[in-house]
Amino acid sequence: MIEGKQKGIKGILEPVLRNLGLTLFAMFALFPLIWMVLCSFKSDAQMYNTVFVFDPTLDNYQAVLVGTDYFKAFFQNLVVAGGAVLVTIIAGVPCAYALARYNFRKKEDVAFQILSFKFAPEIMVILPVFLIFQKIGLYDTYLGLIWVYQLITMPLVIWVVRGYFEDISVEVEQAAQLDGYAWYEIFFKTLVPLIKPGLVSSALLAFIFAWNSFTFPLILSGFKIQTITITALRYIASDTVHYGQVAVASTIAVLPEVIVALFIQKHLVRGLSFGAVKG
Amino acid sequence: MAKIELCNITKKFGDVVALSDVSLTVEDNEFFVLFGPAGAGKTTLLKTIAGAEFPEKGLVKIGGQIVNHVEPKDRNVSMVFENYALYPNLSVYDNIASPMRSRLYRKDEAYIKDAVDRVTKMMKINHLLDRKPSQLSNGQRQRVALGRCLVRDPNVFLMDEPLAHLDAKLRHFMRGELKEMQTSINSTTIYVTHDYMEAMSLADRIAVLNKGKIVQIGTAQEMYYTPCNEFVASLFGEPEINLIPAVMKTEGGTLYLRMLGQEIDLYPEEDTIDELTAAGTGDIHIGLRGNDIRFAFEKPGDDWFEGTVYANEPIGNKVIMTVDTGDCKVALTCPNDTVAKLDQKVYIRPNMKNALYFHGATKEFITRNNKARYTGKKN
Repeated sequence: MIEGKQKGIKGILEPVLRNLGLTLFAMFALFPLIWMVLCSFKSDAQMYNTVFVFDPTLDNYQAVLVGTDYFKAFFQNLVVAGGAVLVTIIAGVPCAYALARYNFRKKEDVAFQILSFKFAPEIMVILPVFLIFQKIGLYDTYLGLIWVYQLITMPLVIWVVRGYFEDISVEVEQAAQLDGYAWYEIFFKTLVPLIKPGLVSSALLAFIFAWNSFTFPLILSGFKIQTITITALRYIASDTVHYGQVAVASTIAVLPEVIVALFIQKHLVRGLSFGAVKG
Repeated sequence: MAKIELCNITKKFGDVVALSDVSLTVEDNEFFVLFGPAGAGKTTLLKTIAGAEFPEKGLVKIGGQIVNHVEPKDRNVSMVFENYALYPNLSVYDNIASPMRSRLYRKDEAYIKDAVDRVTKMMKINHLLDRKPSQLSNGQRQRVALGRCLVRDPNVFLMDEPLAHLDAKLRHFMRGELKEMQTSINSTTIYVTHDYMEAMSLADRIAVLNKGKIVQIGTAQEMYYTPCNEFVASLFGEPEINLIPAVMKTEGGTLYLRMLGQEIDLYPEEDTIDELTAAGTGDIHIGLRGNDIRFAFEKPGDDWFEGTVYANEPIGNKVIMTVDTGDCKVALTCPNDTVAKLDQKVYIRPNMKNALYFHGATKEFITRNNKARYTGKKN
């Protein structure tokens, strides 16, 4: 009897506690976003002396979006990040395949070298890259940024997709060969569907990293090409900081990421963990 | 259908020699079984014919044409892989239809439907057509793989243990189906197995492989009655053949053998004596199958060997009794109503008519009674 009662209490308490915990974490995780959106509606005057209650205004939005080159930066960011991911997929997937399938000397060293690009702080390599880009005319060009963004996007995609390739048994490819398919048909009809979850999730994550990149575009571009992360800096003037306008610029900038993440969140977790778990 | 020839194939993986100087010819429309223990190189040999592996040395010929530099897809061979190698993203139907949808072997959809229907009914998987491979049991996956192989009309069927994961009943049924199919559509088939019963029941000819080398090629009968060495003898038959060390002596013109440390003379059959003498050694291993040894619980005569019952395993239609004779243990088959207590005294006597004689040092086959009867004809 007593046992049953205890179980009853436990049965009620458990989901309550669990939901409480999840709510707390959601608030913790979402608060910066909420705060940013709130700030975007505050006037400069109310920025420091109000918390949740204030007179909402659209002035910040007008200042940032109307008659400025904000959307140009948005578009340029899209080109640079999208281009970087595209190049990564075109070059990285075959690279991942080679690392998964073929045995060559120093294979693991090469694979680790690729991964190690992610370890190095960007600020450490930026100066030599800046000097080289100046010399060979890549400074402030799409090509230059897309190229240097490979440091961010390539390792991620290669390592995730490589795991997926390793999970596909060689016999499946051999069976497809014997069925009469050419190598490119095998690749697109048999292999691509199998690596798709990993490819999509890692490519989207790579896109988000590229989209958010700050150091590279700060140093390597700025006149002809301006990414959105750099544009947001403009509202920090020497005499005053227009937090409201920074908030607007950031809010618009994170929109694509939030939308994409919401759409693919299920695949994102599974896609990135699947290969590793099966290992 | 076509004749398959392998000439001096050598294949290495790093330092490991998978196949070493293998030559064999599989005739047109022959059911050829590759048999051997794990790691013998059977799968590698199949993949070499398929073109999935490239030999370091040697020629592969299909239908008289050298195909070493022909891509796997152009060789028109059909293969069942040991690990099934199904396309995980396709349904059972699409898996089986896959070879008929490639550009090389394209058929129209109506034909495909008929063909898939035919093989799936034969494999008893026609209720699973919409499932993905991940939703199937291993036995079902294996049948899908077999279906994808059989749906074609290739130069040669290559089957890598296609029945290994089926339950006993289904395996028996499928064995019959394969044999029936073989005779009805006249296909060249190379079949890998490590089940001696499968090998013996299906094969026109068997090749025994060990450590990348072909040990013996012959019919099932030749393998069983005239194995070329002790290794082949021990692969076929259950319980495993007894290989009993014996001493051969000649006294007053009579040749006799003594074994099991007991003072009983065994006289080989007349027609084996010449070859036994020619072997030039007194160290002989006598190969005796379980059913070539008689037994009794009461001593029938002085020329019976004495031992004790070491183990007694009923396996349905027979009982396998292991007799401890002090020197070595001898396994024999008994009728299934045999009841024996452990450590009970038992008397055994070999039937020398069916004894196989092996050279004690080289383990090579020397001779047996009436040898010509088992090796004279092929097929």
